[in-house]
Amino acid sequence: MSDDLEIPPAAPEPAFRAASGQPTAPQAGVRPGRSLAKTGAYLILVALALFAIVPFSWLLLAAFDEQASIFVKVPSTWTLDNFVNLFANQDGLRLIVNSLIYSGGATLILVVVATMAGYVLSRYSFPGRRTFMLGVLLIRVIPPTAIIAPLYVIAASLGFLDSYYGVTLVLASWQLPLALWLMKGFFDTVPLEIEEAAWVDGATRLKAAFRVVLPLAGPGVGAAALIAFIGAWNEFLIPLVLISDPDKQPIALGLFRAYISYTQVDWGFLAALSVVYVIPAVVFYVVARRALQQSVAGGLAGT
Amino acid sequence: MRPVRSWRDVLTLVGFLTPALVLLGGFTIWPAVWAVYQSFTNKALTGFEARSPRFVGLENYARLLGDPDFHSSMLRTFAFVLLSAVIGQTIFAFAIAYLMADRPRWRLGFTPLFAALFLLPLAVPEAVAALLWASTANGTEEGLLNRGLGLIGLGPVEWLQAHAFETVTVVNIWRGIPFAMVLFAAAIESIPRTVLEASLIDGASAWQQFRRVVVPILRPQILTFLMLTTITTFGIFGLVFFLTRGGPGNVTEIIGIYIFQQAFQFFQIGLGSAAGVLLLLVLLLLGAYYVWLMREQV
Repeated sequence: MSDDLEIPPAAPEPAFRAASGQPTAPQAGVRPGRSLAKTGAYLILVALALFAIVPFSWLLLAAFDEQASIFVKVPSTWTLDNFVNLFANQDGLRLIVNSLIYSGGATLILVVVATMAGYVLSRYSFPGRRTFMLGVLLIRVIPPTAIIAPLYVIAASLGFLDSYYGVTLVLASWQLPLALWLMKGFFDTVPLEIEEAAWVDGATRLKAAFRVVLPLAGPGVGAAALIAFIGAWNEFLIPLVLISDPDKQPIALGLFRAYISYTQVDWGFLAALSVVYVIPAVVFYVVARRALQQSVAGGLAGT
Repeated sequence: MRPVRSWRDVLTLVGFLTPALVLLGGFTIWPAVWAVYQSFTNKALTGFEARSPRFVGLENYARLLGDPDFHSSMLRTFAFVLLSAVIGQTIFAFAIAYLMADRPRWRLGFTPLFAALFLLPLAVPEAVAALLWASTANGTEEGLLNRGLGLIGLGPVEWLQAHAFETVTVVNIWRGIPFAMVLFAAAIESIPRTVLEASLIDGASAWQQFRRVVVPILRPQILTFLMLTTITTFGIFGLVFFLTRGGPGNVTEIIGIYIFQQAFQFFQIGLGSAAGVLLLLVLLLLGAYYVWLMREQV
């Protein structure tokens, strides 16, 4: 189809077209300008791909190296001992379990809270609804960094310091604005008519919401849950400030505290822990790329 | 969508919204309001001023405005945002996305593979990203970058000592640019092919097509992304703190680290709150524009 369109216009401007590297005839077999440009483009992309992945070499080598150091080197003996240590070692296992508790708990809270709010925001029109949605969006621009001092004071006064349950709640609240927007958007895609049909069949509104709408918005709930999980999983500053008990720290803090204890850093342990820490995040990116592209950009791609 | 008609509707609405309001109110809005209040006190982390802080008026703000460390931290943050978010992750990323995107008379192979690789830097948590670069940019001869330089007879460069600010900026570009490219490429591919074909038939060069067709059509998306990445970059903490803790000296002390140190290392909660309020003002201003851009989406 595009070939038909490549027929040059009746009065081409030869100089201009040559300069821009366009073929003057569609059947031109070799296009030196174009292939040169493509080679250049590939070179740039390959260079960028190297830039993106080369730093990972340390992680992948050190995690399997018996004598890992901070430097990138091919292990003289490949081993899984670092991973065995990680899971056999109380500290390593505890970090992983802690991270799962915080992120899992925050996700659970978020799914319930954001689903409820997203449903009514999508289904009811009421004065101030639009303002509310835009207000939530504005809240999203506040980073924990800006208000970490009062957040600490408030958390302390509520007894949330070093508390699984407190830290989980705080982590959940930071993921809420995004989750709320996502959930509302997902419910918007479920036609109201389906719900109305259920009412006609005698279902109460609540029942219709649970039995009919929620299953249809299921994939959306899943995507929002994934995004919330990873957001909480990656968080560094909030645990850094709210948790001082080493038994309660998540992986991010464990990595940091192990890294700054210059004297006796166990690099193999650090690398193995990093691998375990990275896996859910990478899996998530593969699974949820589409939803993520839309959420990060707030409807940037394609809508 | 239906209007709220009965008391039952009102109850459902209030009941379903309350948990969200409590969470949002409790840990984001309330701390933001509390930050303003605390910024007018001499609240400390420990000691007498922790228990009974005194109202000190604008003293914290006066101290900030007179503090050269605060000035340089703000300037550094603006430079960090300009270099990594605006130039790196938006302008540069968009240009490269244009190379990657499928468009009439331009199709590169392997783009899904490139896209997958480009996602990795953003996929890793901040803490791991920092560790990766602690190794890659190690300042001794055995560091990976320096070994690369050694091959062409240069170095070793003490990346995180002598060039710490440049290094953390590059690390942040590393983290954000690939994903930005993938997003922008998707946006460019969403432009109807006929539009691009028409411009080619009219004799536009690749540059003219880029400048006169692609950029104007995607202007709203570019702006939205620019605002979002600018805002998040202002709030960056973990990546830089993990790598340098603001040092050496304070050359990488971006505003997030300044706030953290004032509040939790010098125990001046009041002063830290005041710095946070100033950051918040900048972000809410940018945020207001972002919300205005997004107003159609509600």
